[in-house]
Amino acid sequence: MSWLVRLYPRSWRRRYGAEMEDLVQVMPGRLSVALDLLIGAAIAYRDVIRRDRVLSAAGAYLHGVCVAVLLQAIAFVSLILAGQGSSDPTDFRLGPLVFATMVGLPQVIYAQLGESLQAQASILVLSRAWWPEAVLLTLLVFALAIVIATPRLLRRLR
Amino acid sequence: MRVRKVTAAVSALLLIALTVAVAEAAIFALLTVFSSILRVYLVVELADRYLLVNQALWVPMPHVSVHEAGTVGSGLVTFGCGLGAAAWRYRRWRPA
Repeated sequence: MSWLVRLYPRSWRRRYGAEMEDLVQVMPGRLSVALDLLIGAAIAYRDVIRRDRVLSAAGAYLHGVCVAVLLQAIAFVSLILAGQGSSDPTDFRLGPLVFATMVGLPQVIYAQLGESLQAQASILVLSRAWWPEAVLLTLLVFALAIVIATPRLLRRLR
Repeated sequence: MRVRKVTAAVSALLLIALTVAVAEAAIFALLTVFSSILRVYLVVELADRYLLVNQALWVPMPHVSVHEAGTVGSGLVTFGCGLGAAAWRYRRWRPA
């Protein structure tokens, strides 16, 4: 179990490493002790990062990137949800810039279908269930809330 | 000393580029999985190239095209969010 002490930052190990290893060796090798050591390592890294201005900014950069990834995934699912049930193209645009387009049914394929098949295809598009998009959107918003709250939760850890 | 500063700046730039590339790959993986779950064709455009993620072409399904502006904009948004968060933290940083 004492190998878990190596997960701590070097500066921390230099100061408390030997003492901590002695302590871990006399403790029973239980899962709760391992979990405590892991949480302790996370807290020690948090303290090291918070003490340094550049490291702190680098951590914030990674956090911002994670938020951006989730926001774009939410935009993608929202576009599908918005274009749901419509055979007309739905654009996601900013002025003249069109970022993405959702087409309810590929117009080329639609044009090639016979009249009865066109009617069937329209029904297929219009009757698409909306709940998978809604469930996915809810999960993504929940994940975004957790990611945004993570730095505050880490700050509260002692 | 000057060489050290240049090396540090180049390393930082490479790391930033790497994080944006990893983030873009993660977004693409997410979109691929989502398009499969939600049963839509996904077309991603970048510099006259089209990346098509689809199921069976003969099944009429809705499709989502991410245009070139979207692909480039995605990278810029990712980089901008990261940079904004870093700048904000750097300016508001106080010794603990």
